[in-house]
Amino acid sequence: MINLILRFGLFFILLIVLQVLLFNNIQFSGYVNPYIYIMFVLLLPVEIPSWLLLLLSFVMGLILDFFSGSPGMHSSATVLTGFVRPFILRVISPRDGYEARSEPSMMAYGFRWFLIYTVLIVLVHHTALFYIEVFRFADFFRTMLRVLLSSLFTVTFILLIEFYRRGR
Amino acid sequence: MRNLLNFLIRFNNLIIFLILEGIAFYLLATGNSYHNTRAVNGIRGLTHGIEERINNTRNYLNLRQINENLAAENIALRNSIEHLIKEENSLFFSVYDTTYKQQYQHTSAEVIENSINRQKNFFTINKGKRQGISIDMAVTSFNGVAGVIVGCSDNYSVAMSLLNLDFKLSARLKSNGYFGSLTWDGRDYLHAVLGEIPQHISVNVGDTIETTGYSAIFPEGIMVGTVSNFEKRGGDFYKITVSLVTDFKAVHFVDIIGNLEKTEQLGLEKPFK
Repeated sequence: MINLILRFGLFFILLIVLQVLLFNNIQFSGYVNPYIYIMFVLLLPVEIPSWLLLLLSFVMGLILDFFSGSPGMHSSATVLTGFVRPFILRVISPRDGYEARSEPSMMAYGFRWFLIYTVLIVLVHHTALFYIEVFRFADFFRTMLRVLLSSLFTVTFILLIEFYRRGR
Repeated sequence: MRNLLNFLIRFNNLIIFLILEGIAFYLLATGNSYHNTRAVNGIRGLTHGIEERINNTRNYLNLRQINENLAAENIALRNSIEHLIKEENSLFFSVYDTTYKQQYQHTSAEVIENSINRQKNFFTINKGKRQGISIDMAVTSFNGVAGVIVGCSDNYSVAMSLLNLDFKLSARLKSNGYFGSLTWDGRDYLHAVLGEIPQHISVNVGDTIETTGYSAIFPEGIMVGTVSNFEKRGGDFYKITVSLVTDFKAVHFVDIIGNLEKTEQLGLEKPFK
């Protein structure tokens, strides 16, 4: 248990550092803004109580908000993601259900399952984030394009990190 | 009572979700006034420290370009001084001119955090209230419009970049003085859109767009950019695409301009608005 908390604490800090120092500085045409910090919400254990999941998502979003000077933008999107996660897990559950005390990772459930899971979560998060950012439905399809392109990059980076974790 | 408890237990996730989402949207709605609250200032101070370090590294890597820009600005300033000296020598010049009063005050500052990839971009500069910066001052970079100060702490200020969907600027065509409202459409960091220019005006590609000075924030005649494209859209107005003179990807040093007569102008205009 302590081990788990320590591990996720480190992962939490690592993701924030990566996001703030590296990915927030990718300023590529305004259409590609990968937000890989959502990987934290993605990888929390399956059996985590949902209040804790919501709270942790909120804290993650809040810290990102402080660093990017956008109060409430990231936190509202991550809380929504944390809320939706159990439903997504239920919908795409493997045939034999989830193993006890497992994490929804590529190691445990395979590449195909993890890809679907990541794409769904990232799409939910990015859609919420980008539409909250512009806060209007003018240019609806351009925002959609930003969502799709950024999601593509976020998913790619998350898969790379996940492959690295598995390889180790 | 038991029904209520059952209800709470059953929907506790939903309730927590709604509470947290409520907090988030409250923060979102109150916008940037959070800069003024003390608790947040501490955390901002911490992140500023980190941002300043990142920026130091970045500046080091861009030294060549910064030097080139500074040299170019020096030349421009020297030319304008030359012009003034000549005027002073060739005309009668009254030293005690009571009608003359300094209207604008300039302060230079360094940008320590900047973004161009969001829809609502802000940048942070390393001067604040203690250095005389206040809200609604104009920010320019190498004589091009960059943004407006929207929040100040003791030693830092946050400015709304021109690259922000909420940014509005009164700008005009230099050639004929017709003015309209300049906004950013969120497409890319090189272009903005000038609206409200009637279609009977002749517009050419390459025309200079400058500020009008009507808003008491920007002085008159600061360059915004040049016309890169214009089209007649149904209705009475042009849709003019302006290619911006400020390179927001390379904004390192900015000039903050305070209008010393702002309160007088706004106070006078107030009853009529």
